[in-house]
Amino acid sequence: MFATLGAKAVEDVTNIGQFGRFVWQTAGACLRSLCNHRTYPLIWTQMHIIGVRSVPVVMVTGAFVGMTLAVQTYSQLAGMGLEERLGVLINISVVKELGPVLAAVMLAGRVGGALTAELGTMNVTEQIDAVRSMGTDPIRYLVAPRVLACLLLTPFLIIYADLMGILGGYFVGVMQLGINSWAYWDFSASGVELWDVAVGVVKGVFFGTAIAVISCYKGFTCKEGAQGVGQACTEAFVASFISILALDFALVVIFKAIYNIFWPFRSLVG
Amino acid sequence: MKKKEHNNQAPETHSNGVLTVKNVTKKFGPNVVLDNVSLTIEKGETTVVIGPSGCGKTVLIKHLIALLRPTSGEVYFKDRRIDNLNEQELNGVRTHYGFLFQGGALFDSLSVFENIIFPIRQHGKIGNWKEVEELVKAKLAIVGLDGFQNYYPANLSGGQRKRVALARAIALNPEVILYDEPTTGLDPIRSDVINELILKLQEELGVTTVVVTHDMTSAYKIADRIIMLHNGKIVADGDADHIRNHPHPVVQQFISGQVSEDDLAILRMSGSISQAQFLPRDFEA
Repeated sequence: MFATLGAKAVEDVTNIGQFGRFVWQTAGACLRSLCNHRTYPLIWTQMHIIGVRSVPVVMVTGAFVGMTLAVQTYSQLAGMGLEERLGVLINISVVKELGPVLAAVMLAGRVGGALTAELGTMNVTEQIDAVRSMGTDPIRYLVAPRVLACLLLTPFLIIYADLMGILGGYFVGVMQLGINSWAYWDFSASGVELWDVAVGVVKGVFFGTAIAVISCYKGFTCKEGAQGVGQACTEAFVASFISILALDFALVVIFKAIYNIFWPFRSLVG
Repeated sequence: MKKKEHNNQAPETHSNGVLTVKNVTKKFGPNVVLDNVSLTIEKGETTVVIGPSGCGKTVLIKHLIALLRPTSGEVYFKDRRIDNLNEQELNGVRTHYGFLFQGGALFDSLSVFENIIFPIRQHGKIGNWKEVEELVKAKLAIVGLDGFQNYYPANLSGGQRKRVALARAIALNPEVILYDEPTTGLDPIRSDVINELILKLQEELGVTTVVVTHDMTSAYKIADRIIMLHNGKIVADGDADHIRNHPHPVVQQFISGQVSEDDLAILRMSGSISQAQFLPRDFEA
């Protein structure tokens, strides 16, 4: 039993070390890619695949989040006579938490799965070895453009999700449930600060990076065969999902502390 | 070519060889795939590595370009030790190599033209697009596929894919070309086309060639020197005649393609096929 536990511990430490090395190499490759204009076409291509093609699903996600929140919270607020405050509740939830997190989860499924499957297939068909054999760093050629595209475009996709969430909430709250339009926007404007929007968008940088790095790593280390690629895709999604939730918690704590440093009394008053 | 003795000892010098492997052992977990292998490959020579499946041929050829690192031992390209270089340092060394992978390893998302200019784009300056087009045309003409520039790998047959992969491997005019099972999965005629191409490249470009195969027809046709691996060790090393007349029973068994008495005994002991339990015809999953 001790031997099994020891072997498992050694394997886990080795995997963590390999992942840490991969992250370090990826960071270096990303910096070098940003300084080298010859790699820009690769980044543009990935931006189109990862970013532009994700816009519809992210917008649909955001819209349904806003609409569902409106339906769920209306009856509670109406019971207290506070239905005109529906806007602030929906918009602050969407902009700070649900928009970024659910958009990132959607990206982990759509983009992360595709990245792992693509790189995993390249790995098992020796295409990654072929890149190396031609004297090219596969992390610079394959990973860096994907990570940069994800890192740069996830915040914009979150803005799309936020916008659609707000419009979805407005559609249900004002057009279906009959809340006064002016009150909806007025309470929203007074309750949602630029800081809240910025926090959600900045989270996107971290979520996007985590999704791309984890998915590429799983693709690079996937085992042989169709089962290996499938397993790598599953592991990539699970690891990305947990990372998104863990990063979300850590960022909330950090941003809260920063907010309290700059505006120490606002949180007490608000 | 002069016959050589089993060459599992470290070479005294590696200055005459383009590629030198010195006491290389490679382990994957508890499995020893290469066991203290040493060999030197001379400039302009075509060396064929033969051996049964799983004997370590592909592992050996990947060590020659440092795609795999030895557990112990040393690998040299010319006089430079390469097994301890980092990936960035290796990128420069690898531009002297061309590698034909078993399945071709063409990039699915790129056309034939884009596949061939990939190494040129990574290492050469593409100043004049017309020159690049001419270069790709010339490389494809060597493998008999000029006109296929706009095809994608999915639209090519297995043999065509290998020929395009070969055109890509010679894009940077390498000094060494490594072939991993170049004829596997091809019919005898397509296999011979690949053999002729290997000979043509060796004769016209004077490249040093290492071929891993278990196709003896191919080995006899193209080899200046044949090395046989068995259980991670070199058991025979010499020209085609030396291998044909080699006294080692494993070598004779392999080149004649005969099953061993031990394997036959296992087959006999496993019972007859008619005795096996078959599912009834009306079985439903």
